[in-house]
Amino acid sequence: MNNCPDHIVHYMHEHLDGDISREHELELQAHLTSCPSCQQHMHELGKVAVFVQSASHITAPSGFVENVIARMPKETSKVGMKR
Amino acid sequence: MDALINKRIKEVLKGDQNAFAEIVELYQDKLYRICYRMLGNKHEAEDIAQEAFVRAFINIHTFDTNRKFSTWLYRIGTNLCIDRIRKKKPDYYLDAEVAGTEGLNMYSQIASKEELPEQEVLKMEMQDRVQYEISRLPDKYRAVIVLKYMEDLPLQEISDILEMPLGTVKTRIHRGREALRKQLSNM
Repeated sequence: MNNCPDHIVHYMHEHLDGDISREHELELQAHLTSCPSCQQHMHELGKVAVFVQSASHITAPSGFVENVIARMPKETSKVGMKR
Repeated sequence: MDALINKRIKEVLKGDQNAFAEIVELYQDKLYRICYRMLGNKHEAEDIAQEAFVRAFINIHTFDTNRKFSTWLYRIGTNLCIDRIRKKKPDYYLDAEVAGTEGLNMYSQIASKEELPEQEVLKMEMQDRVQYEISRLPDKYRAVIVLKYMEDLPLQEISDILEMPLGTVKTRIHRGREALRKQLSNM
């Protein structure tokens, strides 16, 4: 990979962002088929997305809404509503 | 969703606070999750997410209903998170970039010294591991990675939330992704 053009890694990111031109995509695919170390790099970048998205669902703690309401200014709120 | 939100906002503007409770109800999980991913601490995330809703309420008259409410709300939340992260930094000079190490500063070097031993990291539950790896990211990459991957937001919306040019968002996602790739290379 040390001999690979720098823009190949850039194209990998463009690909992952769904933001790649047809021309770049073709060049990237052609390069990947002939370069195992770039294939590995691409694979690892793809793994990042899977890893980060694998985190289970997080929800706000119970009583969250009530706590927000309790923190909201009561009388002064009218000041904020002046236009 | 946006039509409902705009209806509720009009009611809030007329003085109906209960309508705001409904808005909080709808967005509490999403905003809390963003804050938790950014801050890595449940108590801080709860405090900051609640503060963000309070500020949204106080400033609701400044919200332009032609725009997306979630973008505006997430902007308030991420700004508060970024402020909180910066306040936790021990000293201003730690922001200075270290020569020859693009994107790295003294702070990230200090943070990396607090890394857990590899065996400890490998034992972590997936959920904790994801949080740990995200919290090791330099903070300027953390916000974009959280919004892109945890919330699956379009790049343009991330650019709107962080009030940052689209090109900067892309660069930071690229660098954040490369940083995570290196962090995960032992998995």
